[in-house]
Amino acid sequence: MKKLRQITTVKRHVLIVDDEVVNREILGNILSVNYDVEYADNAKEALAALSKQDKQFALILLDLLMPVMDGFEFLKKRETSETLKHIPVIVMTSEKESEVRSLKLGAADFIAKPFDMPEVVLARCERIIELFEDQDIIRQTERDHVSGLYTKDYFFEYIRQIELWSKDIPRDAIVFDIEQFHLVNEFCGRDFGDRLLAEIGDALEKELAPMNAIACRADADTFYIFATHQENYDSVRNRIQGILTEFFEVNHIRVRFGLWENVDRNVEIEAWFDRAKAACDKNRGDLSQSFTRYNNEMHSRYMFEETLIRDLQSAIDNRNLIVYYQPKYNIEGDTPKLTSAEALIRWIHPTLGFISPGDFIPLFEGNGLIQKVDNFVWNEVAKQIRKWKDEFGVTVPVSVNVSRIDILDPELEAKLMRLLDENGLSPEEYMLEVTESAYCENMERLIEVIENLRTKGFRIEMDDFGSGYSSLNMITTLPIDILKIDMSFVRNMEKDERNLKLVELVAGIAKFLKIPAVAEGVETESQLATLKDMGCQIIQGYFFSKPVPPKDFTPFIEKELERRRGA
Amino acid sequence: MITIEKLNAFGANTAEGLGRCFGNEALFLKLVATIPGEGNFDKLKNALDAGDLENAFLAAHALKGVLGNLSLTPIYTPVVEITELLRNKTAADYSALLADILAKKEELGKLCAD
Repeated sequence: MKKLRQITTVKRHVLIVDDEVVNREILGNILSVNYDVEYADNAKEALAALSKQDKQFALILLDLLMPVMDGFEFLKKRETSETLKHIPVIVMTSEKESEVRSLKLGAADFIAKPFDMPEVVLARCERIIELFEDQDIIRQTERDHVSGLYTKDYFFEYIRQIELWSKDIPRDAIVFDIEQFHLVNEFCGRDFGDRLLAEIGDALEKELAPMNAIACRADADTFYIFATHQENYDSVRNRIQGILTEFFEVNHIRVRFGLWENVDRNVEIEAWFDRAKAACDKNRGDLSQSFTRYNNEMHSRYMFEETLIRDLQSAIDNRNLIVYYQPKYNIEGDTPKLTSAEALIRWIHPTLGFISPGDFIPLFEGNGLIQKVDNFVWNEVAKQIRKWKDEFGVTVPVSVNVSRIDILDPELEAKLMRLLDENGLSPEEYMLEVTESAYCENMERLIEVIENLRTKGFRIEMDDFGSGYSSLNMITTLPIDILKIDMSFVRNMEKDERNLKLVELVAGIAKFLKIPAVAEGVETESQLATLKDMGCQIIQGYFFSKPVPPKDFTPFIEKELERRRGA
Repeated sequence: MITIEKLNAFGANTAEGLGRCFGNEALFLKLVATIPGEGNFDKLKNALDAGDLENAFLAAHALKGVLGNLSLTPIYTPVVEITELLRNKTAADYSALLADILAKKEELGKLCAD
């Protein structure tokens, strides 16, 4: 990409300071090819020209020996001026001694007298201007304006530079964050939160200076430190925790540290901090410790997850991801009737074997890859509904998961409609499951999306109801068609009275809302009987069938058709 | 009026001088024509006459820069020599060198006036 300065037509202003007309004119003639040139007879005049606010100079060409005020005096004054310091100075001299002295006083370069060929002079001026402008951009972007620490990109680049010449020095990667920091911003305001981050940045600079370490604010309340290996980081931790305690005058807002000691140079720099972050995240909610070291167990988990992330696309391409279907039965009459199915994803990895959805779904929900999985499932399911419809002449509606991240996708509705269109299906034949916790997190947006989908004709099931934090008031306003009772309540309802009461309560809520209640995880006849007594209409679980691949689902449809013919 | 030919005959390195002026002959000749009236020749003479080596150096140094940029070699060469001597405040008889410089300046002045 071209730099802006290469495509801009505006000429930069350059100031030539020389008492000799001949020199000024020769240089001016050269520079006017690329720059808008101004002149000053001596350094005093130059200072006056530079103090004018209407013009920003990109370069000063300075003679040293001049009457009234010489070039050295000018360089000394420039050193103490915040404005002038950022304008590069090229000194014009024929004396070696003067070159050294002026470079020490901050001159960027020098041009010998008599002048070199014009092309050389121009090239030197251009190079210095470019260097200073780049330096200025770096200066403006290297620091995070809130904490005063480095920005993440600059931090990584800095480490890359350090690593070029000191790969053999043992170093540590440290990540720390503040638990529940979002509450600080919410309750105390962003200004308060920013003040806290600034204080942490300031304290870190002071603490890290003797450790030969650098730090950045990587994200919101997450900080990275790269340090020469230390026995412990107690002083840093105590200092940061001290700031938090002082700010809040309470002890429960705490800082969590993750550390990867003696980072492995065969691993990419970003991954050092991913691993330290994994150790830091391990502390989540664990008040017994605030400093976790990245260890072998964590490493195995990390590598496993990295493998899953890496292999997801090939799993989709090679059909290692398979959609299974679990039937749902309406138990209102004497004979259970097949009403629909739920799509459940399975992953048979070529080397790792069967991977539990409990391993990869939360992982992909966390990093956004779940959308890829969801889109795959939606596609497969639409094709399967179409296939059964063609084969048996009936629709078996299948419910699919809609993850939190899908809700935020502005393309969601269009994607689903396109899918149905491609397979000649209507929204009524396709059901969408949304977990209760998604409702709680971003309720307004979610309600809006769900309302739109329902208007189109989709039926919405609220999954895992009872596991989230819905208020009773909220339940009455939710746009839902079916309530699914959280599986754990059903499983434990015969062992634990409280779970039984909860199932009863949810079934009652469904009745109140005049919508069906689905109980999943039903394994025994007695569970089924209890649920039926409670008025629960739809049952899903091993009692009828485990989730099965499409070919094993066919008998359920055939049996249902047979039942219908008999009826 | 001064011309490139006259300057070549004078011994100036006009190719270099012109090159420094980006080939702008009019500018080059205009600047050369200012040399005979350059005040630093008088300053140099007066300072040397007064034994003021410091100011003599400043004048010589300024002349050196200007003459070098115009590649007026016949005057530039003795000016470089006198500048280096004055830089070290060498106690020497500068009259011969000064005379040489002034003579060359006069010669150039005539070429410009013709």
